Amino acid sequence: MRSPNIRDLAWLKTVPLSAAVLRASSSVRARVSAELPLPVVSSCSDIPAGAVTLIAAGGGSLMDEAKHFRARHRPALNLVLMPSIWGSGAEASPIVALNRGGAKEIAIGGEFLPDTVIYWPELLATIPPARARRACGDAWSHALEAFLSPLASDTLRAELAALIGEMLSLPLAADPRWFQASARACALQASASVGLVHGIAHALEHPLRARYPEQEWGHARLCSVFLLPVMNLNRAASPKWTDLARRYNIDEQAVWTVLQRLFEPEALAAALPLLNENWMKILRDPCTRTNGALVRARHLEEIALQAAA
Amino acid sequence: MTNTEKLKDLVVDVFLIDPKEFRVDLKREQIETWDSLGVVSLAVGVQETFGQHFTQDEAIGITGIPDVIKVLEARGISFDA
Repeated sequence: MRSPNIRDLAWLKTVPLSAAVLRASSSVRARVSAELPLPVVSSCSDIPAGAVTLIAAGGGSLMDEAKHFRARHRPALNLVLMPSIWGSGAEASPIVALNRGGAKEIAIGGEFLPDTVIYWPELLATIPPARARRACGDAWSHALEAFLSPLASDTLRAELAALIGEMLSLPLAADPRWFQASARACALQASASVGLVHGIAHALEHPLRARYPEQEWGHARLCSVFLLPVMNLNRAASPKWTDLARRYNIDEQAVWTVLQRLFEPEALAAALPLLNENWMKILRDPCTRTNGALVRARHLEEIALQAAA
Repeated sequence: MTNTEKLKDLVVDVFLIDPKEFRVDLKREQIETWDSLGVVSLAVGVQETFGQHFTQDEAIGITGIPDVIKVLEARGISFDA
């Protein structure tokens, strides 16, 4: 599987961009357009037939939509991705997660990888601290769930353990080093799968947004909120985490300190009714079924108790 | 709890079947929810419940509950009828 070229904004500005179009999320559109004065499209289906390059600037959903569109409808299009925040690692992943009628549809394939990734650290300046912390939770959930996955090989676990060690040295705040760390976490989880946190995120994102439209219920926040309860569950269900952490020299206490800082108990309490309603759907999710510990029907109660605690 | 009861709990949780549907002679094709991830979840559950890992060959050869019992019995875990 080929890897995308990693470049910066200065490089992109030296490239002839005739026949290029820009698809950008509203949070960064003005900023990106100021640097790259290109025709803007509001959806991939609006890309003109003569376009040669698509530059997609935004979060994981926007980048996944662009990856899917290029692979399925315009394979000759040169795809340049510019993540507006770290966490999803979508810019480096052969996986796309698409919103389809309130459900997540997952597809995997080398054809989804972009040609070029542009990291532009200055875009981080306007990210609110809570959103930055949750993006870190997204990357942490990829790394920890992949590390525990029953599909992870020894080699992959060694790479993930090294990454976890590096992530422990990063702040839970805006820092450009998170771009590379989260891209690596995402690329590694693509080979190992993830676990219950992602099963929950896939099932709850849409209903939580519908029920609490004023709150920021996205994938990254769901990962941050549920990572501690799920890791507590994993640790209690089997000695696997403790054994693997010891074998790969992971500082378990330091990891738990991170999980506690990511955790939002009020948010967990708010999500519980929907967790209850969607629990069977969560149990059937393919990600849940590659969780490090077997997720059983009765575990719903154990997660609920953690909101009370 | 007997080993058969433990296995029943495990199979019910892995495949989300009604406990009344469980039988020790169930084959893969008789469990609608047994898909390609079924053996992965089953292996995780067997490790947690019985402390035993499936080898890759064992995992590939599992086509129903009798195969699970056979592998575990070969490791000294007995199942009463």
